[in-house]
Amino acid sequence: MLAWWWVSAAPVRDVGGALTGAGRLTGLVAGYAMPLLLLSMARVPAAERHVGADRLARWHAFLGRWTVCLVVAHALLTTWGYAVASGSGAVDQASTLLLHYPGVLLATVAAALLVGVGVASARAARARLRYETWYYLHLYTYLAVALSFAHVLATGEQLVGHPVARWLWSLLYAVAGAAVLWYRLLEPVRSTLRHRFRVERVVDEGAGVTSVVLRGRDVAAMGALPGQFVRLRPLTRQGWWSSHPYSLSAAPSGDRLRVSAKDLGDHSAALAGMRPGTRVLVLGPFGALTAERRSRRQVLLLAGGIGVTPLRALFQTLPAAPGELTFVYRSRSIDEMALRGELVEIARRRDQRLHLMPGPSGGGWDPLPGRRLLHLVPDLREHDVYLCGPPGFTTAALAALRRCGVARSRVHAEQFSL
Amino acid sequence: MRRALLALVTTVVGLVVLLDVEVTPLPSPLAAGAATPVPGATTATGTSVATGYGPVQVQIAVSDEELVAVTPISLPAEDPRSVELSSRAAPLLAQEAISAQSADVDMVSGATYTSRGYAESLQSALDQVPALTPTGQGS
Repeated sequence: MLAWWWVSAAPVRDVGGALTGAGRLTGLVAGYAMPLLLLSMARVPAAERHVGADRLARWHAFLGRWTVCLVVAHALLTTWGYAVASGSGAVDQASTLLLHYPGVLLATVAAALLVGVGVASARAARARLRYETWYYLHLYTYLAVALSFAHVLATGEQLVGHPVARWLWSLLYAVAGAAVLWYRLLEPVRSTLRHRFRVERVVDEGAGVTSVVLRGRDVAAMGALPGQFVRLRPLTRQGWWSSHPYSLSAAPSGDRLRVSAKDLGDHSAALAGMRPGTRVLVLGPFGALTAERRSRRQVLLLAGGIGVTPLRALFQTLPAAPGELTFVYRSRSIDEMALRGELVEIARRRDQRLHLMPGPSGGGWDPLPGRRLLHLVPDLREHDVYLCGPPGFTTAALAALRRCGVARSRVHAEQFSL
Repeated sequence: MRRALLALVTTVVGLVVLLDVEVTPLPSPLAAGAATPVPGATTATGTSVATGYGPVQVQIAVSDEELVAVTPISLPAEDPRSVELSSRAAPLLAQEAISAQSADVDMVSGATYTSRGYAESLQSALDQVPALTPTGQGS
């Protein structure tokens, strides 16, 4: 469509024309970005499985920031360009636009909403807001997108009088909207009715980690693979309004799923508060950290802190001959190493290697600095690496792996962030 | 939970109010370009010229072999932007035509299509009045 804009836009003759043209371009790009933003958060299973939920979330945040800037630029440039072309002052022009051009008022409200959401999503603001507050504020983006859609349809220069273009534009938004509606609203309802998951048991694994065993029907039909995660929405008065990701910490067996999470932030505490018998909406599975991505027989599972949960499931299930799997578990102290008893048991039963390495970063037990990983796993370059942990850990680990000469395509990483 | 409900209600109410707001349309550009009628003047109407944004058609008033008034009959006014630009352009073009006593007018910046259509329609009107010879040129 950009090519078509290039061809069909009126030639630029003067400053006013240039400004207006720039305003139209920014508006067009922003208008394109919005369905993409919707789609990236629609939780389309194919995307979540192959691209990965964490990467999608990062793209969404990145694109979102740019979209807010583009929308503001569009408003300012168009107003300014119009003002220059009509020979009126900018403020005069702005009030003319707001008061006499249909749809501009709505578009301005949409822009204001986007700016508000953008500000609230800035790191400084998020640190001070409760997760629920930020979540609710973010929902206003749906309204902003709807208003923007109407605005573009009414006044977009490339769309006025071009029915095909209008159709395509509407189709793009319709697809994005449908994806959101289906995957985030209708499909979860369908899933609840089908699987009817309930909490069976809640286990305190120590180190602030809690495991929950869920029991339901047709569990196999979910196709949950070890290494993936699900989003839980406990159907209780406090917990129902939002869903949070928890890793499958064991292979799904029979009609049971076991998930684990660390007590980080108010929403994970809700997990520990779940009582046996509570009905839970289980969405998913999501995540690309699965056996499907394996390309080598030898595998290193590198876990930092809470990253142990999905990797423990893989340690249990990845097909391997004795000695082909190595599990390296990094944590600040031995007491913070949840599930270590199970890891020891799996290592013993399957005859695989396990290295528990507690201690401060950079200290004697830390395998990440320099090329210590190579000393630990001499033929590391022949391994696939599955990596999971908090952002700081995964960054350091990726750097370490690069230093040791492991090809990036052999590293399968998932990053946990709040 | 109560705050969320309050926010939801406020949003819905705000949206209803917002959607209800009706913008006042801009006044027609024809009003901006209208000239006072001159008694005893010959009038001629030019052809209607299509621009991308609506037709342009002007009517001239000639008195004593002199162009005294140019009145727009139709101007691009299909969308608010065209209305705004036409409202500004029409008086400027009329003024220039009268001082130049011909259809040789400069384009009004930002309203090039309108200006061209205006000049074309104006020329066709001038051609209809044989008494009006362009200054400095043979008949």
